[in-house]
Amino acid sequence: MDGWMGRRLRIDLTNRKHEVETLSVDYCRKWIGGRGFNSDVVYHETKQGMDPYDPDSPLCFASGSLSGTFAPTSGRTVGSARSPMTCSTMGTNIHGHGDTNMGGSFGPMLRYAGYDQLIVKGKADGPIYLYINDDKIEFRDASHLWGMHTKKATNILLDEIGDHDVRITIIGPAGENLVRFACVINSFSSAGGRTGIGAVMGSKNLKAIVVNGSHPVTIADPDAFKKECLSLRRKIYHSEAAIRHRALGSLELFDGGNSIGINAHKNCSTGYMEGLEEAYSSAKWNREYLFRRKACWSCPVACGRYTYIKEGKYAGFHGGGPEMESLCNLGPRIDSVDIPGVTVMCGLANELGMDTISAGAALSWTMEAFEKGYITEKDTDGIRLEWGDVEKSMEVLRMIANREGFGDILAEGNIRVAEKLNIGMDIVPHCRGLEHISVDPRIALGFSLGYAMSTRGSDHLKNYSCLEFPGLAENLKDRVNEVLSEETAKKFWDTFPEELHLVDTKPELCTWSERNKCVADLVGCCCDPIASWGTAGTWKEAYAPMLKSATGVGLTDEEIFNAAERTICIERAHWLREGSGKQDDTHIDRYFDKPVVDGPFKGLKIDREDWAWAQQEYYKLHGWDDAGFISEEKAKELGVPEIIPDLESGKKIFLKWIQENASARGRK
Amino acid sequence: MGNIDQKSIIIDVDKCTGCHGCEMACSLQHFDLCSPRYSRIRIQEFRDVNTFVPVTCQACKDAACIKTCPMNARVRLDNGAVVTNEERCIGCKTCIFSCRFGAIFMNPKTNLPMSCDLCEGDESGPWCVEACTMQKALLFLDQKEAVKVKSREWAGIVKKDFTLPGEGDELEFKDSGYGSSKE
Repeated sequence: MDGWMGRRLRIDLTNRKHEVETLSVDYCRKWIGGRGFNSDVVYHETKQGMDPYDPDSPLCFASGSLSGTFAPTSGRTVGSARSPMTCSTMGTNIHGHGDTNMGGSFGPMLRYAGYDQLIVKGKADGPIYLYINDDKIEFRDASHLWGMHTKKATNILLDEIGDHDVRITIIGPAGENLVRFACVINSFSSAGGRTGIGAVMGSKNLKAIVVNGSHPVTIADPDAFKKECLSLRRKIYHSEAAIRHRALGSLELFDGGNSIGINAHKNCSTGYMEGLEEAYSSAKWNREYLFRRKACWSCPVACGRYTYIKEGKYAGFHGGGPEMESLCNLGPRIDSVDIPGVTVMCGLANELGMDTISAGAALSWTMEAFEKGYITEKDTDGIRLEWGDVEKSMEVLRMIANREGFGDILAEGNIRVAEKLNIGMDIVPHCRGLEHISVDPRIALGFSLGYAMSTRGSDHLKNYSCLEFPGLAENLKDRVNEVLSEETAKKFWDTFPEELHLVDTKPELCTWSERNKCVADLVGCCCDPIASWGTAGTWKEAYAPMLKSATGVGLTDEEIFNAAERTICIERAHWLREGSGKQDDTHIDRYFDKPVVDGPFKGLKIDREDWAWAQQEYYKLHGWDDAGFISEEKAKELGVPEIIPDLESGKKIFLKWIQENASARGRK
Repeated sequence: MGNIDQKSIIIDVDKCTGCHGCEMACSLQHFDLCSPRYSRIRIQEFRDVNTFVPVTCQACKDAACIKTCPMNARVRLDNGAVVTNEERCIGCKTCIFSCRFGAIFMNPKTNLPMSCDLCEGDESGPWCVEACTMQKALLFLDQKEAVKVKSREWAGIVKKDFTLPGEGDELEFKDSGYGSSKE
């Protein structure tokens, strides 16, 4: 088979056995790769109500169908499992789909070893690591690595194996101790952060996965493939956005951050922070702390940073990162302008193996809870977290990773902390139990809708509707007109640039963006060229031609599009099976009731009626019913009729909950 | 290389980001497939300190591989590149061990040594250099140009100390391509 490796590797940790499964061309065409393969397995091999830490719950890693080729930005890998982090309004014991997209070079090496996907099940009887060397699979003891930080452990593994070309995905102490927002780290500092995939790995006693491969990825039509790769590469080389991104990294988003409200200041209570542009100036950061750039596999841009701090309190620190989201969630979110301190804290989170966004959320929630008087030192073993206290924050991060004292409680993720202590539920900005990223949902309504509808809980990367930002829309006018219907596009331009704060055009824009982003995840490419810079065109112009010529099975645009829709649908079905539909597609009351308090967007909030309209419009565009459930026809149309019984039983749970909840509300 | 006008691949280690795009380009160009093991340029990684060293044939003027090959199978092409004549080669690997750079690799298809042919016959020049357009860790230049580019670049860094501050703060990153611009 060309383009795909055509095999997946199943690992049974309990019995220390492995099995190679051949993938048919039809299967590959149906799911394309990456996120598609994973979502399929995670849905079909888990059951309703299953514990994410159940040994039988699969942990999957898959690289896209263009990973490990000359296709630019094709180094992305998706890790998926039933998420221990996410939950529903119906209860924190209800879990759903979880996945995380990471860069680095783990996925491509997995393909060179001959596998499109790796599925890990079972639980080892002690700490082990997995060594995949083409067809040779070894289960090796990892007790000497247990408890170790990610960088040190990776170094030891490299020496132990004696080949510096192997790729390692590893968890830190946070993953071992089942911190619900633990991440996996590959290639030293490329993190797959969200939804607690690291904790799932920890629950299987699996410290690391080492991959070494020697097979090539074959290409069906090399001449066409070469031409398309070069043309897309040249588009990227000469795009202003890519050049800026290379020069400044994702940190460039800080520069205009206040003007579009994308800084999660003080626990996401506002998207504006006084003096942020000076303190977090990306040019300044790069001048003072950038040692050298780092790139994911086959990416010409290299937006990744590698930090080296030359002087001051943290002199001598060096490590991968930070990205904008990490810096923002551990910086402005806790109201700190101590740039080197926050940079080091991002590095510490990587070392401990925890998601920087949820870690920042845990810290900032505690800070706000202290400010509001919800908790006192009595609850936190004498530690008082004040806004902007970087040093104490680092101490708390360590406590979380090792589950010591108050850290043991925080390690459960904000929503469960608030539930356990029975306080501060109103100050947990989340959807489906996963905390918000840095964009204020009251300001950018497309992102806001994206957070709520995202199939892995609040996150922008499932529904990357960057076109709503006036700056980008202005540069890509044709794109806006192309992806929106005529009527909606007219509405868009009539209200421009205020459309950012209006829901009118958002259901349509989000639906398109969601599929656009999903194709990037299926082929294993980065979403930046087709979404946030948009300079490479949409998925149709950028990734589809390469995919077609690499695989040579006559894929059509429609097929790729349907695969994306199918993937979104199966992830959604994972939630619907649990009964989590419309009731979870929303935000906390803060964003409906309390307007933005400062900055250029003072006074904005989400209108409940607008929201209800947007929700229904969005469902209609996907072919879902008014409760957010996938219709029977839609499931059949997408070729996944097997989900219909699950949807029916899920609907029953949903209706029962709605009924009970309505009567409970009536009593109040 | 006898001719001063002959171009070769110039490597600037400080600019390499470890993307392995050059390997992908090389294997695709020569074998119509993608794999680091099929590439004639390879990145040696020191990821714990984010340092990456691209290794490829330097087409030495006084090439050890040519001198040590018992079969005279290491030959110089018109473009200056030194490659293996597979018809003569007996696969003894003497060239591999005599190369100071470790820049001769095994061809997995024929199991004979292979090294960079500077994409001979391709008008657009070596593909690895094309893949590195943005980072400029690989350049395809003749000796005169190479020296000039390097001195110009160094002068650009020094220049900052003598010009007015403020303007084009971010542009300086774009131009120099250097990470730590202060040094």
